Order: sequence, then C-alpha cells, then structure tokens
Amino acid sequence: MDNNIVLKIQNVSKIYPGVKALDRINIELKRGEVRALLGENGAGKSTLIKCVMGVEKADEGEILVNSGTGEWKQPKNAIDAKELGLYANYQHVNIARELSVAENYFMGKLPKNKAGVIDWKKVYSDSEKVLEKFEIDEIDPRQPIRSLPAALQEMVTISKISLNDNIRVVIFDEPTALLENDKVEILYQYIRELKKQNVSIIYISHRLEEIFEICDSVTVLKDGKFVGTKRIEEVDKNSLVEMMVGRTVENIYNIKHFEPGKELIRIEGLTRKKEFQDISFHVREGEILGFFGLIGAGRSEVMKCLFGIELPDSGKIYVDGKETVIKSPKDAMKNRIGLIPEDRQVEGLALELSVKMNINMSSYDMISRAGIINIAKETERANDFVKRVGVKTPSVGQLVKNLSGGNQQKVVVSKLLCRDPEIFIFDEPTVGVDVGAKQEIYAIIEKLTRNGKAVILISSYLPEVMGLSDRLIIMSEGKIVGEMDNEELKQATEKDVMAVAAS
Amino acid sequence: MKEKGLRGTRITKHTEFSLILIIIALFIIFAAFSDSFLTEYNMMNLLKQCSIIGVIAICATFVIITGGIDLSCGSVVGMSSLTAALCMTQFEFSIPMAAILAILVGGVCGLYNGFIIHEFKVPPFIATLGSMTIIRGLIKVISEAKTIAGLPEEFSDFSSSSFLGIPNLTWVWVAVIILGFFILKFTRFGRNLYVIGSGQEVARLSGINLRSNTYAVYIVAGLLCGLAGVLLTSRSNSSVPTAGEGYEMNAIAATVIGGASLSGAKGSVWGTVLGTVLMMLVDNGGIQIGIDPFIMEISSGVLITIAVVLDQFRNKKQAN
Repeated sequence: MDNNIVLKIQNVSKIYPGVKALDRINIELKRGEVRALLGENGAGKSTLIKCVMGVEKADEGEILVNSGTGEWKQPKNAIDAKELGLYANYQHVNIARELSVAENYFMGKLPKNKAGVIDWKKVYSDSEKVLEKFEIDEIDPRQPIRSLPAALQEMVTISKISLNDNIRVVIFDEPTALLENDKVEILYQYIRELKKQNVSIIYISHRLEEIFEICDSVTVLKDGKFVGTKRIEEVDKNSLVEMMVGRTVENIYNIKHFEPGKELIRIEGLTRKKEFQDISFHVREGEILGFFGLIGAGRSEVMKCLFGIELPDSGKIYVDGKETVIKSPKDAMKNRIGLIPEDRQVEGLALELSVKMNINMSSYDMISRAGIINIAKETERANDFVKRVGVKTPSVGQLVKNLSGGNQQKVVVSKLLCRDPEIFIFDEPTVGVDVGAKQEIYAIIEKLTRNGKAVILISSYLPEVMGLSDRLIIMSEGKIVGEMDNEELKQATEKDVMAVAAS
Repeated sequence: MKEKGLRGTRITKHTEFSLILIIIALFIIFAAFSDSFLTEYNMMNLLKQCSIIGVIAICATFVIITGGIDLSCGSVVGMSSLTAALCMTQFEFSIPMAAILAILVGGVCGLYNGFIIHEFKVPPFIATLGSMTIIRGLIKVISEAKTIAGLPEEFSDFSSSSFLGIPNLTWVWVAVIILGFFILKFTRFGRNLYVIGSGQEVARLSGINLRSNTYAVYIVAGLLCGLAGVLLTSRSNSSVPTAGEGYEMNAIAATVIGGASLSGAKGSVWGTVLGTVLMMLVDNGGIQIGIDPFIMEISSGVLITIAVVLDQFRNKKQAN
C-alpha cells in the first residue's frame, strides 16, 4: 500500500529571517495523482516547491521520494531531485534565453554521433518531434529562446519536461499564467498523458477553474501553514477561496459599473503593418473597455503604440477630441495616458530600488522644481499611496524585489496613480496575483471609473475580461473581429467569445 | 512572505559603517608601526592622493549606478592634462582658460562615449574600451609621446598650497563630493540614474528619456575626468603621455568597495568616498610601514575581491 505513495512531505518547516515560511507541512502524493497546491501569494507554495526540488533545504522535517526499489530517498540538491525523477517548470529558471530551443531541450545531454561530435541533425529532428507533439511547430528549433513570445517560451519550458524518461513527479508552477486557452488545452492533454503513465503532478495555479478541470485533489496552504487536503469532489470554488483567504469571497468580478460620460480617447485606423491593421475604437469617461484575443492577436502591440513605445505606420489618435501624436511614453504621459505593462518585473518595476522610488519614479517632475526634488513630498506621497492601495510592506524603504507578486503589482498601480492619468491601460494586471490582491486591484479599477477615468483592460483570462468590461473588443490576427456591448456581454458565454477570437 | 526581510537602507548603512571601522583600525595600526605615517607631510600627501582619484571615483559611481562602466576615465584624464599643458605652453592661454578648455575636452570625450553607447547600442564596456585606446593613442600622436614641462609656476602653486590647513586639491574633491551627493539625492537626474540602472525598459516606460540621460551621465563623467586631469597636471607640473593610466581601475575599485554594484542601481557618494580613502590609505600606509611596493600592488586587488565577496554574502542573506 505504501508503495502507492510516491512523495512524502513530513513535518517540513522552513524559517527565513523574521518569518516562518513553512510550518510543519505534511503532504502525501499518490502515483498518478494530480494534486493542486493552492494558496495566496506568500502562502509558502514556492518555498515548499523549492524544498521538494532540493533548491532550498528544509530546516525541519523530511521530504521522501519513493525511488521505486522500495527505498525512500531524500533529494539533497537539485541534481539529486532530477535523478529521483522530480521535475518542475520553474519559470525562467531552467531555460537559457540566449541558446536555441533545441539546445535547451537537450541541455547537458546533447547526442553525439560516431565521431564523438554533436549530432545536430538528430538534435533538430528530435526537437521538431517534441514541438509537433505540443502543437507549437511554428517554432524553429534553431531559434533562440529570447526571440519567442512569453507564452511560447512557457510552452518550451513545459515541453522540455517530456524529454526525460524517469519522470516520477512533475511540478507545474503557474504554467498557464501566460497561456491562451488553446495552449492550456495542450497542457491538459500532456498532464493526462503523464497521469496515464502513473506520473504524479503538483499543479499550482491562481485560476480555480483549472483546478476543477484537471486535478484529482487539492491542498491549501495559508501563511506557511497546512490548511487541508480535499478530494476535488468535496469542494467548490467558494469553499476553496474560503480555505485560501480564510473568509468567504463572493463573485470577485462583481464590481459596480457607471454611466459613461464624454469620450476621452478615440483611435482611428491605427496600423502597424506587420502587427495590426485598421484598429478603431474609443473609450469614454467611467468606462471599462476590455480587449481579448489569442497569442499574436496584436492587443499588446496596439497598446504599445498608444503608449508611444512603438510608432504606428498610420492612423490617428484623438485625446479629448484633439488629434495627438504620441512618440514616446513621455508624450503619452503628457496626454495623461498611463500603462500598467504586461511584464511587471521588467517593464513596470525597478526591482533593485525601494518602494518609495518606484512609486515616484514616473512622476518626479510633479514634485520637483528646476530638477530638484522635494524630498519630503516624495516620502509623503509614497506613504500615502502605500496606505491607499494597500501595499503590504514594512516601510517605503523596502526594496521592491522583496515583495510578493500581488504587492509588487500594487506598487505598479500606485506608481501610475501617482502620475494621475485620465486614461488607464491595464495589460494583464492580475497575472500571478492571488485572489485577495486581485479583488483589491478590481476595487481600484472600480474606483477609477467612479471618478470618471477611462480604463482599457487587456486580459487573456476570459472570466476576468468578460466580468469586468463594459464593452469588449475581440481581436484576431491583428484585426478587430468582434465587439460586444454590455447587454451582449451578459448574454455571452466564454465559448461564444472564444469562437469569435479563434475565427 | 519576504516582506519582513531585512531593509535595504539599513544594509547600505551597514556597508559604510564597516568601512569607517576598517579605516579607523588601519589608521591606528599604521600610526603605531610607522613614525612617518602620522606626519603633517604624509597626511597632506595622502589627502592629495585621495583627491584626484576621488574625483574620478565620483564620476565612476554615476556611470556604474546606471549599470554602465567607463573604462576611458584614465585616458580622458591624460587628454585633459595634455590639453591644459599645450594651452599654457604652446598657445599661452591664461591658466583659468586652459583649465576650462581641458575640462571641456573631457566633456567632449564623454559626449563621444554617450553617442556610441546610446545611438549604436554598444555595451558601455566595449564602447569605452574603444575610446580608452583611441584617446590614449591620440595623446601619444599629438604629444609625439613627449613630456610637456615648463608650465607656469602659479599653476603648480595651486596644488601645493592649502586653505585652512587643507590642500586646495582636497577642497576641489570636497566640492565634487557635495555636488555629487546633491545630484544623486535631490535631483531628478540622480533618481533617473538609479532607475536606468535597475532596467532600461522600466525607465523608458516610466517616461525617462534614455537618450538625454545616457548622454548626460557620460558627459558629466568626462567633465569630472577633465577636472581630475587639470588637478593632476597642476600636481605634477607637467604632462606626461601616460598621465592617468590605470586610474579607471582605481576609480572603479573605490566605487565597488564603497558598495556599488556593477549590475547597476546600487551605489552612493559616501560609500565611494570611503572606498577611495580606504584604498589610498592602504597604499600609503603600507609603504610607510615598509611593505614591499610589489606586495602593495596586490593589496588593492585583494581589497576589491574582499569587498565584492562580502557584498555577495550580504545579497544572499538579503535574498533569503
């Protein structure tokens, strides 16, 4: 019977200076079981995974892997973990961005031919097989990873796991954060295939819908403590959220909507030849305009033009009724357009700097005279926004890299609020953000529209973009292929929207 | 979860605090083991040594905070020195005119660095490695690799005299320190440097003009090196073709010892000042207590290594 268990986490604790990240965690994982691991940001999921993978050492307790020979072994380091058949899709960690897809696939085990040199033919043909299997054969295995969009990079990381042959446990840490529905489906297929081979899965995601789709059981952590393990039939969305946050949370997309006022921005025939064509739309005061589309639909690219990061080939932008040329983010800000960028770690935050500097970063001109900053105001503003937006940080002097994902995103929002724009662009604002923080971000969006700001919301997550938007624009292959108003949105199902987006 | 970790600000203070302790300890050791260390002559000498490298180290700090590096510092010092000397001897310019021109030539060198780095997206290491060699070559061509001597006496008087018992050179350094501190602490330009050092993308999306700031930081660096070149010429009362050679390494070392990170976004004027003092103190004191000069050469290397290793430990602690 014991042999049916593949992984035992026994009484594991991990203490970081000043905080108990894990507090006597006990988990047993059966062969072929797909276990969801849930918890808010900072609940200890990542720490637990790191301990399992041998990247961090637990301070107390044991992590035991059934080695198949009836012997239980404890992975002491990352190499050990691999030898015992533990794999994980650590984002950004186990890929070398400068190397090609094929080199990444065969890293450390490039096949040699008879002459003892690398058999590139085999490398590429084997790589192509993997790419085909995961339906991402638009990728050339010779392409360097960094040239791929984020979603495809993620697919490469996931598909890389399939190249190992002694797989016992695979840990997926938010694999779908960047994936569109069709790619998610491919991932599910792979998970089901692994399950059939009696491989066990630990699946971490903030999207509860996915848990019900793919998992057999679920373990919830909160503040480093074990809350409970349940079979999936025993729980529903509400009870899971309750376990995670310790209180009931009603429909999180249920925010107040307001009667839109005058038009704040109008785009006409915006075109950037290789990315999108003839894009026209407008947003009014107090309105949330949603954008949905699959990978390569061109949503983010349109917003990049709107924010002056890229220049359009043709088309017009009217802000407040006046035709405006936006050549740089600085121009965009002058026209009171603000952006929450898609990649908050690279585009939104200066991770090495303090919360205070991050919040003030894009609006120092508003609190300085002749280039000299009013230091008192800088601190005052930072403290003010930390309080208003609810950033959890011991002080505004804390470095942003030490904050959790949700709090980092709140810093980005604060930075934008500090600039006080009229038109807000939110590009995937809740990726990697837990339910609690999500709700707070939605509350901020609600408050913005109440105060008559215009909001453009881009999201790959249908429940979110459908639940929050007053109007929804659907893009596909660089064109607008559908638009739904409030009434239509209420009637529509996710399937309807997908059908339009995939057309 | 990690929010409760150590605070960033406290750690930098920690760096500077330990530097002060080390400096005081070394000072006591040197004073105890050498009769010539704590003499007025040697103290003046130490201050002067610190001053010239100190000015360059401030400019290195600015550049390093942006995540860049300026290897051409030493060559720019040499070029400025040559300009000052030529202006005074060949063209018979007044001393202030010659000094201003020399500083401006430094600025032009910086402009060139900024141009290559920003417009052609050449990594700063490569761009300034190139200009380092180009400028040094130019110096040798123009001066025909000869020393230019016979500068007006008033010029060298500046560096040999003192005001309120402190060498004039040091006053210049102090002025640069105050200015540098002010820029980093109180101006938008200063803040922009940190943001750029943390990431070019985030800087751009935050509305920071990368072009003007990149140009500005390398021009400021050039101007400061130009100033250092004038000081050096005044001190040696001549211009040698090798003037300033290797100074960039001393300046970068002082900055790193002071807690700056070569990956950007970290560094402070006070740290750099202490780093400069520590380096020069080891050099000066070591010789005073009779350590072999060849062994002394090893010391600065050891110092940098220890400083960076300690920094790595601190980072690791902080990450946990």
